[in-house]
Amino acid sequence: MKSTAAGIAAVAKHEIRVRLRTGRVRLLLAVWVLGLGALTTVLWRTVHDVNGLHQRGVPVFGGLMLMLLALSLLIVPTLAAQSINGDRERGVLAVLQVTLLTPAEIALGKLFAAWGVALVFLGLAVPIAASTLFMGGVGVGRLVITVLVVAVLMGVISAIAQCWSGLLSRTSTSSMVSYLSVFALTIGTLVVFGLALTSTRGTHTVTEQVPDYDAIVNGQITSTDQIPTRTETRTTDDVRPEKVWWLLAPNPFVILADAAPQKHKLSVNLQSNGDAEFTFDPLGGIAGAVRDVRDPNHTVDPLGARQSQSPVWPWGLAFDALLGLGAVTITTRRLRAPVKRIPRGVRLA
Amino acid sequence: MSVAGVRRTFGPVVAVDQMTFTAPPGSVTALVGPNGSGKTTVMLMLASLLRPDLGQLRVAGHDPVAAPSEVRRRLGWMPDTFGSYDNLTAREVLEFFAAAHRMPRAARAARARELLALVHLEEFADAPVHVLSRGQKQRLGLARAIVHSPDVLLLDEPASGLDPRSRVDLRVLLRTLAGAGAAVLVSSHILAELEEMADRAVFVAGGHTTAEQTLTELRSADVLVPWRIRALDTDRLLTALRHYGVDFDARDASGVQVMLRGDADAAQLLTALMRDGVPVATIAPAGGALESAYLRLTEERR
Repeated sequence: MKSTAAGIAAVAKHEIRVRLRTGRVRLLLAVWVLGLGALTTVLWRTVHDVNGLHQRGVPVFGGLMLMLLALSLLIVPTLAAQSINGDRERGVLAVLQVTLLTPAEIALGKLFAAWGVALVFLGLAVPIAASTLFMGGVGVGRLVITVLVVAVLMGVISAIAQCWSGLLSRTSTSSMVSYLSVFALTIGTLVVFGLALTSTRGTHTVTEQVPDYDAIVNGQITSTDQIPTRTETRTTDDVRPEKVWWLLAPNPFVILADAAPQKHKLSVNLQSNGDAEFTFDPLGGIAGAVRDVRDPNHTVDPLGARQSQSPVWPWGLAFDALLGLGAVTITTRRLRAPVKRIPRGVRLA
Repeated sequence: MSVAGVRRTFGPVVAVDQMTFTAPPGSVTALVGPNGSGKTTVMLMLASLLRPDLGQLRVAGHDPVAAPSEVRRRLGWMPDTFGSYDNLTAREVLEFFAAAHRMPRAARAARARELLALVHLEEFADAPVHVLSRGQKQRLGLARAIVHSPDVLLLDEPASGLDPRSRVDLRVLLRTLAGAGAAVLVSSHILAELEEMADRAVFVAGGHTTAEQTLTELRSADVLVPWRIRALDTDRLLTALRHYGVDFDARDASGVQVMLRGDADAAQLLTALMRDGVPVATIAPAGGALESAYLRLTEERR
């Protein structure tokens, strides 16, 4: 039997109907909208009072998107981490398996339902995020790209959580392991990167662009964007972050921050009237940091006014997408029947 | 539907071993056996959910292992315990399963209506499933199992939780489906129930088939089966029985139990009692042929 879009759609429609009828999701949606709205208001009031802050929308947008991603990473696993073993516990999976629906149709239909509900959360957050367009400094492109990245990451997390629900028989275990997976992607990547970094220590020769402080002292410089550089070669006994940068790439926050276009690092500009004006971008800050990790020789100055051209996010997003595809493949395999082995604690019907 | 030399183990436990039987089209076959005798396991294998370790299965001419979708197209399965989508309505559940069987969109609503009428749940069509009683859910489960008009029907303990009215309906429905040419396999502990709807019986114990017979064969079998006699004067009855040399077992409010060999023996005994003026009120088999056979087979096992 071949898998069809109609079969996937039938499962997805059914799943969404079952989910929305419970009412729990609706409550969560209300809390979500109110929470993000309140956060945006607080961020806006905070940046509003900062003297000399230029492009006030940028830090509000950055803070909001990072928070939105963090909350998504908490909510999305609950939407998918019980979708297979929960159905098995309720005794509704086996009767589905003996219909003409293929394992892939069941797996994808359930995935699209969980992902779809997650996208409803994201969709409701878009108008809130769009309000920062009027605060200055945030372009439509930035909004669109970051929302798309969060949408893809939501799909990846759904697929991973669903995969655990297919592999593990108990719903409580699969929920916990799903959260551990999110933890591994976020905190885990940082910890592993830190540990791996120490093992890269060794003597090596570096050629890098360093700020020309003589020029700074002698020259007429009004902005950190104009700091001149010179090439310097030296031997050093230091860690080599460029060898292990890829360990940071799968981190959802790294992907989100680095994928956002029009990044600003912290930069200070002197106005003609002598006042200092500065820009603060949380996303740009994270992106600058990880790009410097990948390409440390590019380091320009302590304020890092210039951006490295070696992006990290395509690698991270591709890796996470492959992880999601792998998860869907495993889930599909787990739904095949007739089965040879029954895992412990599983009752077919 | 046929099972030939099928074996299935779960780790060290042999659930089914050397099980062989057939369930021909146009008839209702009862699958009878004690708990843990492998009834549910063999049904799971026939339903294309579980792979046998050894042996051959055939459902509507197809192998559930090699061609599961061919089997699923023709098979309706009602498990002993099954859940339901509590927040959906009965109609939504049936329409979803119609879609799952790739029924065209236009035909689904009509089929759901037809099935709801068949299992007498029309007034609950738009009620959420959680308001249904256990028996009503069971009927919905049956409607769900036959949504695609299967040629083969597997029912695991379908009568459990059903009120007497629903049981009669179930019996009539299964007879109708078998009459239309379906092969129906029913497992149940309620032997009197099976006796009234089954044409054939397969007895299983310890994972293998112990006997396979038609109900007609069972009824005419040349074996001792218990009959119950109630008389107005029990003492006179006992005296007469002693006089005839007939063994009697129990004596309680429902009468005296004697072991007889089929209807012929019963007729002969009754004639004798009448002739001797014993005031007999009733004489009837204690339990049906199925129950007698079941008890006999489990007796042998001890």
